[in-house]
Amino acid sequence: MNSNNFWKLLGALGAAFALPWLTLIVIPFISFSNFEPVAYAEGEEVDGGVLSYPDRALQRHGASDYGRKIYAAEGCSYCHTQVVRPTYAGPDMWRPGWGGREEEKLARETQPYDYSTEAFALLGYQRIGQDLSNLGHRITTRALMHQHLSDPKSLDPDSGMPAYRHLYTESPYGKGLLPTPKAEALVDYLLSLKKDQPLPAEYVTGR
Amino acid sequence: MTVPQPTPEELNERAAIDRSARYPVMFFFTSAAAWLFFATVLGFVSSLKLRLPGLWDECPYMGYGRLFPVHFNALVYGWAMQAGIGVMLWLMARLTRSRIQHPAALIVLGHVWNAAVSIALISIWFGAGRSIPLLDFPAWIWPVFAVSYALMVVWVIPMFHARRNALFYVSEMYLIGAAIWFPWIFITANLIINRGSAPVMGAGANVWYISNLIYFWMAPVALAVAYYIIPKIAGKAIYSYPLAQVSFWLLAILAGWTGFSRFMGGPFPAWMPSVSGAASIFILLAIVATVANLLMTLKGCSKLWEFSPSLRFTVFGMLMLATYAVLSAMSSTFLFGRNLQFSHFLVGLDTLAFYGFFSMTMFGAFYFIVPRITGSEWPSGEKIRTHFWFSTYGILTMVVTMLVGGIAQGGNLAQWDQSFSTSFVNSSAYVVGRCIAWALISFSNLSFLYQLALMFIGKGRKTEGPTLIHAEPGQVGSARAAAGLH
Repeated sequence: MNSNNFWKLLGALGAAFALPWLTLIVIPFISFSNFEPVAYAEGEEVDGGVLSYPDRALQRHGASDYGRKIYAAEGCSYCHTQVVRPTYAGPDMWRPGWGGREEEKLARETQPYDYSTEAFALLGYQRIGQDLSNLGHRITTRALMHQHLSDPKSLDPDSGMPAYRHLYTESPYGKGLLPTPKAEALVDYLLSLKKDQPLPAEYVTGR
Repeated sequence: MTVPQPTPEELNERAAIDRSARYPVMFFFTSAAAWLFFATVLGFVSSLKLRLPGLWDECPYMGYGRLFPVHFNALVYGWAMQAGIGVMLWLMARLTRSRIQHPAALIVLGHVWNAAVSIALISIWFGAGRSIPLLDFPAWIWPVFAVSYALMVVWVIPMFHARRNALFYVSEMYLIGAAIWFPWIFITANLIINRGSAPVMGAGANVWYISNLIYFWMAPVALAVAYYIIPKIAGKAIYSYPLAQVSFWLLAILAGWTGFSRFMGGPFPAWMPSVSGAASIFILLAIVATVANLLMTLKGCSKLWEFSPSLRFTVFGMLMLATYAVLSAMSSTFLFGRNLQFSHFLVGLDTLAFYGFFSMTMFGAFYFIVPRITGSEWPSGEKIRTHFWFSTYGILTMVVTMLVGGIAQGGNLAQWDQSFSTSFVNSSAYVVGRCIAWALISFSNLSFLYQLALMFIGKGRKTEGPTLIHAEPGQVGSARAAAGLH
């Protein structure tokens, strides 16, 4: 008897949602899916023979793909963000080392392209720990990274990070800890976190 | 304006509807309440772990990064969604005056849903989580959720289609909206995230999903409850039907735009967080108009709040909805957002949505529905009071400490020349507030679960008259008189 009204209501409910769904999600998704690396122009500042931005080889390091899974499974991104905001949204760029290599004048905010080697950009939920976008430039050795994971308080007594002791085993040779393959992969991933590759001029001006 | 008293035929019809709803709805309610208790205990344990990071370092299962997502997902998929589905089924049956067909099939679907929740939580806890808030579970689980939800909706929409009255109730519109919007949002977010071709949009779809889950599923279900229970208990029609219509459509048009403001300054085109921020502010119009409309309905009989547990929980839930809308609009502006983004405030805000407004409204619905479908009354008004006050103090502690703690933490994060750990040290005192909040909420839900379990096994009170908070059992008349109603 009033099925006409019923379909009208259903249509209106659908239409109310379809507009933001298309504009905010579907269309940006399609355009973000078609990212192609941009080649550097002649004479542009290039990071040791890298030809294009983003460079996949630069963003991978050993078993970093597996390490990324460990990072996600341990829920690291509930406390650590990987996003460097422009100064209008927060003072991230002012923190030493957060934006990348400052001496080389490469420090910058994160760009969508920076995440293109991952399946899901782990931008994070809260910022209880440091931002890790450019951790690979702040901690550069495996030993230091392992120390940070297995005993963070030894590096900063005020640190709020738990020790990831279950990723390490007791050394059979007496004192000390041995990393498991998971810990090695996680360190590979953390060392690969460098989101300051120089942007090609075309990319900077073209957007 | 008072509503005419129902005739005996109508009362019989209602009783028949309630009987048809008994087993499926009680199944959803009790399993939801069990998950809720589990989630609140984990809320406490995870907050404790955040306060004392060195606790249980050797154990992989006790890390904050695993406990928090397990707690968060249990709260949403175990408790909130199941409670919402149960309420949707009963409310739609009552509003459209149709019985629930094939209750056994619904119970089977409920088991599938619970199995999916269990497997999802076990996977996250045992190290297969993906650090995608509220979509942490391994990729193959989401179709199970999507299909079992879609099949449950199959019960709701035909009831609505076959209804006998020409005018739409506002509650019906909200329920239909919630029924069709959720699968759409859920499937979209999962497809985008699991396809993985646009990693940044995956993160965007994730925050969009969380915010839409709140404004496009939880708010509609909770408002459907409020638009049903408040006029029903007050014994009069809603203050303004046109205002209810307008605010419904405002919410429907605006909610889909929210979410991206969580990542303002993030790697998105700047218009996306801006549009989301604007939508979160404009949505205040819809929410404030709705809450005002509901409160105006109660004008003249607000004393009922003291006696009726359903009304008390529902009205409190609505006030929390307004608070949520204000705080979320506030944090979408640069003025507040630059300090509050990524701070403890976010946890407070999400808990306010999932517990403060949604769960409290659902409790209101539970206190109303369960006596009707089980044919017995709540055993103790005292325990209902415990549930209300401990929950209320819990959620207020949570919101206040997380708001103040968030401002403190954000302020410390902004002091770029200080060491980073200052922000952790200075804000960790507020995390104590979060522990206390979850302890209070946990305790309150223990008494709720106990009462619900008694009702489930048929040990409810069998005497005349509903259980009221500050009145002797059965003394409905005196309670109504005290509230100024005759």
